[in-house]
Amino acid sequence: MAATSVPSEEIRAATFQRLYPKTYLERFLQENVRPDGRDFLEFRDCSINVGSISTADGSSLVRLGDTTVVCGVKAEIAEPDLDAPEDGFLVPNLDLPPLCSPKYKPGPPSDDAQVISSRLNEALILSGMLPTKSLCIQPGKFVWVLYVDATCINYNGNVFDATLLAMVAALKNARLPKAVYHEETNHVTCSRKLREPLSLSGTPLASTFGVFDSSHLLADPTAFEEPLLETTVTIITDNGGRLLSTSQLGQYLPPEMDVLSECITNAKSRTTEIMKHILAI
Amino acid sequence: MDVDLKLPGQPIQIPRGPAPQLSNGVYSRDGQVRASLVGIPIYQASTLSIRRVRPHPPTSNSIVLGTVTRLSPIQATVSITVVDGIPLLPGEEFTGVIRVQDVRATDKDRVKMGDCFRGGDVVKGVVISLGDAQSYYITTARNDLGVIFATSEAGYTMQAASWQEMRCPKTGKIEKRKCAKPEGL
Amino acid sequence: MSTNFDRRRINGPEDSFSPVLVDDDEDETKWRPGKPRQSRQPQDIRPIFLQPGLISQANGSAYIETERTKIACAVYGPRQSKNVGYIERGRLNVQVKFAPFSCHKRRAPIRDAEDRSIAVLIHQSLVSSVRLELFPKSTIDVFLTIIENDGIDSCVATGTVAASTALADAGIEMLGLVTSCAATLMGEEIWLDPNHDEATAGASTLVLACMPALNVVTSVWQNGTISPKQGLECMKACQERCETIHSIVAQSLVSNFTPE
Repeated sequence: MAATSVPSEEIRAATFQRLYPKTYLERFLQENVRPDGRDFLEFRDCSINVGSISTADGSSLVRLGDTTVVCGVKAEIAEPDLDAPEDGFLVPNLDLPPLCSPKYKPGPPSDDAQVISSRLNEALILSGMLPTKSLCIQPGKFVWVLYVDATCINYNGNVFDATLLAMVAALKNARLPKAVYHEETNHVTCSRKLREPLSLSGTPLASTFGVFDSSHLLADPTAFEEPLLETTVTIITDNGGRLLSTSQLGQYLPPEMDVLSECITNAKSRTTEIMKHILAI
Repeated sequence: MDVDLKLPGQPIQIPRGPAPQLSNGVYSRDGQVRASLVGIPIYQASTLSIRRVRPHPPTSNSIVLGTVTRLSPIQATVSITVVDGIPLLPGEEFTGVIRVQDVRATDKDRVKMGDCFRGGDVVKGVVISLGDAQSYYITTARNDLGVIFATSEAGYTMQAASWQEMRCPKTGKIEKRKCAKPEGL
Repeated sequence: MSTNFDRRRINGPEDSFSPVLVDDDEDETKWRPGKPRQSRQPQDIRPIFLQPGLISQANGSAYIETERTKIACAVYGPRQSKNVGYIERGRLNVQVKFAPFSCHKRRAPIRDAEDRSIAVLIHQSLVSSVRLELFPKSTIDVFLTIIENDGIDSCVATGTVAASTALADAGIEMLGLVTSCAATLMGEEIWLDPNHDEATAGASTLVLACMPALNVVTSVWQNGTISPKQGLECMKACQERCETIHSIVAQSLVSNFTPE
C-alpha cells in the first residue's frame, strides 16, 4: 500500500503548514524568525540582469528571493493626442500568467494584475522618471510609445516591488533608434545602428511591508505570508530618499505600533541598498 | 551522482527469481520493466516502486487530510489538502465526501452528521473509491480516522475527550465529534 | 484595424506601429540565404541551457534557453477536472503564451491562433508519453511562456523539451522523456535546429519529437516541399540529435534530484 512509508520531517512540516498556516507562522514569529529564516524587517536578496532579450528595445530580469519578473520595453510610433502634441506615451502593464502561481487561472487579467498595473502606472507617473515630452519625434505628428510589459515567471510574494524594479531597470537599459522625420512624405524612419538611451531622471523604488496579528511588521512578504497579513503598507521613494507615495491596504493599524514611520525608515535604507544594484547596471 | 537513480523510460534490472509486483513509478512494456518517475527504485517485500514525492491525486486507500466545507444529513463535503502525507498546492484541492454510512464502523444507522463533524474541522480519512464525477468517497470508519483538529464554539482548539467527544480548554464545554485516536497513543 | 482597448489594462494610444528601420549601410556579418551556415555545422544544434525547478510555486517547472529562444514552463496538477463528467483518463492541457516583447513586432496580449497551434503541436509531442490512465478525473496543466522567440519550429521543439522536463520534475508518471529537434532543408543540405532566419529561408521544415529511451517517435510536423527521401533523412537526423538532447535533459534532472 502506498501510505505505509513514514513521511519525512520535511513533509510533516509542509503538511502542518498547509493545514494550519496561521499557527505555523505564529510559531516562527514567537521565535523571532520567519519561516524562510529572515528577520522581521529583512528584505530578500535581489538580483537584476538587463539586456538579455534581443527582441526588446530594453529588458530586465529581476529576482527578489525567488519571485521572478521579466520586463521588456518595446518602442512604437504613434500620433500624439491633439491636446498634448509633444507628449509621448508610457504604457506599463504587468501580466500574472497561470504559469507563475496556482492562484491565477487562464483568461483576461486577474484583479491582482489590474490593481498592480495601475499602481505601477501611478508610481512611474508620480516619479516623473521619464518626461513624456522627451518622447516627441515631431510635435503634433509623431511621438514614441513605450510599452513596458512585465511578466511574472514565479510568484513568491511582493510582486509589486519586484515589478517596479524590473520596469525601472528595463527603462534604464532601453535604447531607442534615432528617428528622422521626413516632411515631404510625412513619415518617420529610424536608424538600425544609432540608438540612444532615454532621458531619465529619478528612480522610483518600492518597499512593501505587512502587518501580522496587529503585532508584527514583516518586510517583503512571501506568497505564504501575504494572505495571512491584515494590512500591507507600500512606501515608494525616489533615489534621493524622498517620499513619492505611501499606501496602506487593509485594516486599521494600532497607533502604538507606529507602523508608518518604521516603514519609512526601513524603506529609505532599502532604497539605498537597491540603488547600488541599479547603478551597477 | 547516485548510480541507482532512474529517469522516466530507463530500464530497471530485475534480479532473478519471481517477478516483482509493480507499484508506483514503474511499469512494464514488451517484457522490460522501466521507471516512470525520477527516483531510486526500492523493493519492499516483493513489490517494486519509485517513491512519489510530489503531489498526486487520491486513489483507493490513499490517506487524506482535509477541511469540512459543507454538511448535510446525508454527507459531509471535504476539501482534500493532503494526500498520502504530501500537501497539495493551495487552490489544487480535491473534493471528497464522507457519506453518512461511512462515518463509523458500528451503529451506522444512528449516525447524525451534526454530531460527528462541523464546518472547518480538519478530518483524516481513507479514500474508498474514486466516487462520482464530483467527489472522491472517503471513510472515517476506523479508530485512527475522524476529526483531528476542531475549534470550539468559543473559538479555541479543542482536545479529544473520547472517540465521540471533544472538550474546549477554556470553557470546558463538551462538543460532539467523531474523533480520530490521536497519533502515538 | 480594430483597437486593442481593454479597460482591464493600461492602454496606450489607439494605434501605434513599429518603427521603420532603414539600413544605413549593410551589415556584412549578418547571415543571408544562400550563404553557408554561420558559426556551426549543418548538423550542429545551438547550445542548450536547461534548468528544472526554477518556478518554486509550481509542482514542476523548467527553464530552457538555446541562444535566442527562451522559454519558461510550469506544470500544475494533477488537478481535479471541473465541470466534466466522470472521465477514466486524465487530461493533458497545454497552453502557450508569448510575452509581448518576445517577437520583433510587439504582440498585444491577446491569445491568437499562433499560440494555439504551438500548444497543439507540443501537446501532440507529449500526450503519448504521459500515463494518463493513472489520473482519472484529473487534469495536468502545462503552461509555457515564450520570453524570446527565434522561430516557430524552434519554439515547438524547445518548448517540448522544456515541458517534458517540467513534467518529470513535477513527478508526473511518464513512459519516457520526450525530446524534440527541428530541421530545415537548405538546398541539398539538412540544417538542424534552425533559427528564425534559417527556417524562413529553407524550402521545408520538419520538427520531430520522440522518446529516445523507448525508440519511438511521438510526433512529426513537416511544412513546405520536400522529397520523401529527404523527408526521411531529416527525420533520421533529428532523431539522432534527440539522443544528444535526451542526455542533456537527463543530466539536468539528475543534478536537480535531491534524495530525501
